[in-house]
Parts: sequence; C-alpha cells; structure tokens
Amino acid sequence: MKLLSKYNRINIGITIIVFLLGSVCFYFVLRYILVNQLDETLQSERQEILQYVKAHQQLPDIENTREQWISFEQSEVQPAKAFMQSHYAFNQHKHEEEEVRQYIFSLQVAGNNYTVTVNKSQEETEDLLQIIILVTIAMIALILLANFIINRKVLGRLWNPFYTTIAHIKDYHLSGKPSLTLDKVSTDEFLLLNESLNEMALRINKDYDSLKRFTENAAHEMQTPLAVIRSKIELMLQTSELKQIQMQHLQEIEDATSKLAKLHQSLLMLTKLENNQFILNEQVDLKKIIEEKIAEKQDLFEAKKLKLTITLEETKVSFHQHLAEIMASNLLNNALRYTAAEGSVTITLTDSHFIICNTAANGSLDTGKVFQRFYKPGNKQEGTGLGLAIVKEICLTAGFSIEYVFANESHKFIVGFK
Amino acid sequence: MKILIVEDEVVLNKSMVAYLGDMGYVCESVNNYNAALEKIDHYTYDCIVLDIMLPGGTGLQLLKYLKDDRKTDGVIIISAKDQLEDKLTGLQLGADDYLTKPFHLSELSMRIEAIIRRRNFNGQSVINAGNISVDITAKTVSANDSPIELTQKEFQLLLYLLINKNRILSKNAIAQYLWGDDMDFAENYDFIYTHIKNLRRKIVAAGGDDCIRSVYGMGYKLQAQ
Repeated sequence: MKLLSKYNRINIGITIIVFLLGSVCFYFVLRYILVNQLDETLQSERQEILQYVKAHQQLPDIENTREQWISFEQSEVQPAKAFMQSHYAFNQHKHEEEEVRQYIFSLQVAGNNYTVTVNKSQEETEDLLQIIILVTIAMIALILLANFIINRKVLGRLWNPFYTTIAHIKDYHLSGKPSLTLDKVSTDEFLLLNESLNEMALRINKDYDSLKRFTENAAHEMQTPLAVIRSKIELMLQTSELKQIQMQHLQEIEDATSKLAKLHQSLLMLTKLENNQFILNEQVDLKKIIEEKIAEKQDLFEAKKLKLTITLEETKVSFHQHLAEIMASNLLNNALRYTAAEGSVTITLTDSHFIICNTAANGSLDTGKVFQRFYKPGNKQEGTGLGLAIVKEICLTAGFSIEYVFANESHKFIVGFK
Repeated sequence: MKILIVEDEVVLNKSMVAYLGDMGYVCESVNNYNAALEKIDHYTYDCIVLDIMLPGGTGLQLLKYLKDDRKTDGVIIISAKDQLEDKLTGLQLGADDYLTKPFHLSELSMRIEAIIRRRNFNGQSVINAGNISVDITAKTVSANDSPIELTQKEFQLLLYLLINKNRILSKNAIAQYLWGDDMDFAENYDFIYTHIKNLRRKIVAAGGDDCIRSVYGMGYKLQAQ
C-alpha cells in the first residue's frame, strides 16, 4: 500500500472520530444551554403566577399556546418542593407526543393547595440535534472530497521528485562511468534523500574502484612471476646437457604453470563477470563465432573420431564479442573432453537457443553441481573445473538461461536467448 | 635486427634477452620509463617489446610518444593486464601486436618475426631450412622445389618450428600456439604427435630433409643450419 494511502487512511479515520465526538459534545453543550434558557423562562413564569396570586388571591386565567401550557390541580397533600423535569408529554395543540420541560411547584390560594405544572415545548432541541447530524455528515463528506482532490492533484506532484530519484537509482550501474548525480529539489526531505544517495554512490564507487584496481594489480603481480617461471623453463629446455628425467620434470612444471595461469585467468574472469565489468551492447553474430570456434578445434574433433552434426541458423544477439567467444569455446571444450572416442556431438543454433549435445561416457552429471566452481566429475584432473561456471556466469550477465539435461545417454547444454 | 625490450621485471627481461639473443637478434633492454624514452629518442629499432606497467610511466604513454613522433619502430605490447580495453587502446595507438603474460618465449619470437617481416616491404617472405622453403605470404611449402601439401595446422606447426629453429619447443608451448589458451594441454599432446608424424611423413615423401627431431618425447625441434 502506498505511504500516501496509509497516511490518508489514518488521517481520515481520526478526522471522522474527532468529528463524531465533537458533534456529540456539541449537542450536549447546546442542549444544556437551551434547557437552561427554558428553565429561566419557566422561573419567570412562576414568579408572574405567584405575584398574580398574591395580588388577587385567586388563580390566574391563562391562555395556553402551542409552546406553553399551564395546568392547576387541587391537591390534598402538603405541597412538595418545587422541581423541574424533562419528559415526553402530549401536546394538545399539536396533537403529538413531544419532549417537554416541566416546572412543577405548589401554591396556596385561599387555603387550598394547588400543584402547578408549567409545560414548555422542548422541540427546538430536537431540531438542533438533526441540524448537527446533518452538518457533521456534510463535513465528513467534504473532508473526504478534499482529501481525494489533494491526493489526485497536489500530492502526486509533491512526490514527483521521489519517483524521479527511484528511476535514477534503477538505472544506476556501478560499472557505468559517471557516479550517481541526483538533482537538487526544493523539498527538504527529498533533498536530504538525494544528497545522501549521492554521497553513498560516491562512496560505493570509490570502494568499487579500489577493489577493481586491486584485482587488476593482483593480476599483474601474479602473472609476472608466472611469466618468469615459464621463460626460465624455456631457457632451461635449450641447454644441451639435460637428461630425460630432467626434461620430464620440466615438462611437468610447465604443465602446472600453465594450469595455474589458466586458473588465475578464469578466476579473474569470474570476478569481472560478477562485478558486471562487461557492457553487453554489441550485436554479436553467434553463427560466425561458433563456426570459427569449431574450425579451431576441428582437428581435435577429428582426432577423437567424433561425429559432428552442425545446424547453425543466422543469429544475432545483443551480447559481448569476447564473452560470446568464451561461452562457445568453453561449451565446445566441454563436449570435446567428456565425449568418449567415436561418440557424437550435435551443435544446434537457432534464433532462440544454442544447444550442444554429446553422447555421455559415464551417465548423468550431478544436475545440482554441474555449474559449480571446481566441479569435476569422477575426479578427472584435466581442466580447471571453472569452464561451465564461467558459462553460467556469462549467461547470467547476458540475461540468457542455461540448462543441463541428461537424456538418451547424452549430455545436453541449452542456452536460451529469450 | 635490433630489438628494444622494455620490461621492469629484471628476470623476465633477462630471459627475453637471452632467448632472442640466441636467435640472432641484437637486444637492448631497459626496465623503466625514462630509460626507455631515452633509448627511443636516440635509436631506431626493428621491434620494441613493451610492458604496460612501468616505473615512472606506462607503456601506452611510450607508444603514444613513438607514434606522435612518427617513429616507425614495430611495437609489441606484453602485459599482465588481461584487460580488453588496454588491448584495444594499445592497438588503436598503433601497436602491431599484443601478448598477455605469461607467454612462451617461442611465441614472442614468432610474433616479433611476423612484425619485422610485415614492416620490411622489401623483406623476403620465404624462409629456408635445409632444402625446405616456406613462403609465408603465399602459405606454400616446398622441398627441392617440389611442393608439399599441408593442412592449415601443419603449416602453422612447421612455421613455428622453423622460426624457432634449433630450439626445443615444449609440447605445452606448441599446444598453446596451435589451439590457444582455452584448451587443456595434457589432452592435446597426442594430437601434437599425430601432427608432427604427418608433417614429417609429407616432408620426407617430397624428398625434403627429415629435420624435425623429437627430444625425449617431451618436445620437438627443427634442426637446421
């Protein structure tokens, strides 16, 4: 739910409660004041009657009206104390039940006890209640309407800088050259947000740069000693007095060095992929690349007497030339390595998929582990165990899908472009 | 043929001087930016082997200086920075080739030879060893003037052996040269043997000298005067 709606929900709820409570209080206060006024009129009525009785020693003859009527009743008992009360009574002038205010007091006229009841209609207070309810409902409706309009027109504009900021952050790439630069806005909160984000991006960029520099330098520092080792091996090979066993040692050292160099390169490649240091905006001709890679390895396929079935369609995807080469090469190497001699390899490229299928030597690979780093089925010593991990990472970077399927005694690697 | 080697790692620098010197090149070597600048200013080389990261500056700066000064020296960049941008920048700035560390010295000599050959317009494109001659431009091989039909890989292999003649090339170096970095080596050694066997058979059949020697089965060399 949007912050705005949440806020509105609370705001409107509380407003309605406050209005209802206010109306109730308002009603009681007004009623109290009106009744008080009625009471005062009743008091003065009593005074008038008392004065009349004092002067004339007889009950006054009083004209009753719609709003006020007085009754006299002779009573035997000693007069009770005067009191006022509100209760429902029948108004003969209006012919209906209504709430009336009564003042009941006793009176002595010529030795007789009379109970006098002065009634006054209290209908005005009921009218008041109705008006108050109407006003309250109207106010609540007005508040809802105002809120709706404000949300529609004003708040959308007020929050605009926030959504602009979000859009900028979404488009932000660490490997992109310029750091995040969010505009200055007039709202303090959004200004604070933008400034904080700018600072954060700057800090992250700095850290990222230093990490990148570190990786680059580490690569440099490690590959130079490897180059030294390799050059020394080559120079040693040229000395004429080497014995066979020494030659063999040298070859093994060289193989290990090559492996180390390759391992190092592969790890570096994985790091770069994870850091999104490649920008994939080239239109890459996959058919051409795959054809080239197959040609490069043609003699290796032939030497293993592998039966190649190649179906390549013209396919261009938004990708990275170098990464495309590595992907194709790694998958082909994989097929080369894990197909038994005289097996068959099927390479298919359509505009949606790149599929390499090869006959399996030893059953299915572990589906869960096949793309893991350093996974080598059957503890084979060849390879770095990083080839498929790199392929997977490349696919992830490019937004391609990659899948391993074992069917009909064949391994199948499927790269989906869409 | 004069070569300048600009590399700050002294041991590697010496190795290159030793290997290339043995091949008949006259090598001068420096290990920092300023010394390299001085050499470049005073002399002309057939090829400059240039490392990118140097004390006092970068190889790319040197390259730019060279090109701004309209020097015609051939340049091969050797770098540990396996950064595509560096490679592209280097080649854009006018480098002739780019080699990533760790490389084989035999591969380096191959590339240097190619650069020098390309730059010498009058230079012959035919290399002879014994009675075998290889025309690099036309990609033809003949023994005593009778042509030998070779596959592309066999031709590459012969050229590699020929340019590094009298040097032992390890199977590892040959595999890397023929199939590139991304292939595993131990697996390819049998294929190398097959290629060498076929190559020798074809040369001998055409009446050429059987000059390719296997050294303890660890490597190969082409023996020639």
